[in-house]
Amino acid sequence: MNTEQISTKRVSTNNIRTKQVSVKRYLPDSSAEPYWQQYELPVDDSTSLLDALNHIKEQLDSTLSYRWSCRMAICGSCGVMVNGIPKLGCKTFLRDYEGEIRIEPLSHFPVQRDLVVDMEIFLEHLAAVKPYLIDDNPVKAFDPNAPETYRQSPKQLARYKQFANCINCGLCYSACPQFGLNQEFLGPAALTLAHRYNLDSRDHGKKQRMAELNRHEGVWSCTFVGFCSQVCPKNVDPAAAVNQGKVEAAKHTLIALFKG
Amino acid sequence: MSKLSINRPSMNKQGAQHKQAFDEPLWWGLFSAGGVCFAVILPAVILFIAVLLPLGLLPAEALSYERASALLFSVPGFLFVGAVVCLPLFHAAHRLRHGLFDISVGNDTLNKKLMYGGAALLSILALGIVVAGMLG
Amino acid sequence: MHKSSSQRLPPLKRNWWLKHRFFKLYMLRETTVLPLVFFTLCLLAGMVSLLQGAESWQGWIAFMGSPIVLLLNLLALAASLFHAATFFVLFPRVMPLRIAGRSLPGNVIVAGQWVGVVVVALLFFWLFGRA
Repeated sequence: MNTEQISTKRVSTNNIRTKQVSVKRYLPDSSAEPYWQQYELPVDDSTSLLDALNHIKEQLDSTLSYRWSCRMAICGSCGVMVNGIPKLGCKTFLRDYEGEIRIEPLSHFPVQRDLVVDMEIFLEHLAAVKPYLIDDNPVKAFDPNAPETYRQSPKQLARYKQFANCINCGLCYSACPQFGLNQEFLGPAALTLAHRYNLDSRDHGKKQRMAELNRHEGVWSCTFVGFCSQVCPKNVDPAAAVNQGKVEAAKHTLIALFKG
Repeated sequence: MSKLSINRPSMNKQGAQHKQAFDEPLWWGLFSAGGVCFAVILPAVILFIAVLLPLGLLPAEALSYERASALLFSVPGFLFVGAVVCLPLFHAAHRLRHGLFDISVGNDTLNKKLMYGGAALLSILALGIVVAGMLG
Repeated sequence: MHKSSSQRLPPLKRNWWLKHRFFKLYMLRETTVLPLVFFTLCLLAGMVSLLQGAESWQGWIAFMGSPIVLLLNLLALAASLFHAATFFVLFPRVMPLRIAGRSLPGNVIVAGQWVGVVVVALLFFWLFGRA
């Protein structure tokens, strides 16, 4: 089914309207400065922002650049600023907006083109905290008489499960003024994933991660603004994880003091 | 487009990169303890001492010179000052330090010394007054 | 080791927090310490006056009753309550409490802290409220 057919199909069930969307364009090849461009497009009750961007790209203006993939809040690619608030395009519906809808690239990241930003620094911060199991039990060949796999009780899983839902969309970095003020700050998602692995019963890498967390640019740059948790599309509550990380870093420091 | 800052050479950063912030847990601990005192104890303290007392709404003898001296210049008075003056001062110092960073005023290394140093000096003064009163 | 070639943006302008209601509330939360510092300095002055003698103490009470000081301390009272409202909700998120393996609901912890505020106020009433 092409877009036109889908649109036709929708008309039968939904009231179709026209809405104006303003997109912040940046085309470094033709213009050094970004500028605003308005698009008029048909929307109905089920039109997501990603649908709208796809409509613009396919029907109105093929020069528009943006990232997307799964359209179901799993891949974390389609983050943009909607009226100044970081949102996933696929999880944002135009029916919820009256009046102006301003779309900008995610804040605090260098813009490459239109809505596409360079997230390299986020990936570096993520890598710095080693967000993977360290020194876990080696998986041996499966022996049905003595099965030895990653064992974890539901209780052990519950300790970190909430913090494992991160999809690395980077919305929390756009929401975090401390990251905007100092880009060396490891930031919400990286610190949350560090905490998630520190809480994992299979992991033995806490000591390595604490060295990253217990820096000024680690947990201590956070002032619990809390906006990261507001914008998180997966309800991970990174602010809670970062501040629980402060408690852990404080314990880590105390232990280091007594052990000398 | 906002201008991109030129990358600082990574050589310079290596040293500072993994510097452990051993002092931060102390400041954060004092900030948190002070925050609890500010939230739980201070509303009553401000209401009684800074509002009801000067308005004359407390019984005449409630905070007479004799009673106030007896209450303050004592071991419970010492603890009271710790919870109502010292810890909230460190709470305030922490928030002011980060607030100054938030609005890009001064530099953090100096602000830290000024804020926590100020809180420490005023705390010593406050506890010193209690001790002086107990001895005097 | 890491932190290689990625680009860094310059720091936000100092008015960043004016752009959003959420950030304004954050700044309001942070500035609750300003009236707190004012009250603390008043209290310190009162302690000094108490050390100096009865006359000085009466003078301090008169100073506390002057309109501007009273107004600023009323502001401090409001600030302490706003601080409490914002601070209490953070506690269960920073230190989730578990009793017998079950996590205590956040609103129970928040309510418990407000009970603390009331208990302290009652203690003050018991101490100063009766003749």
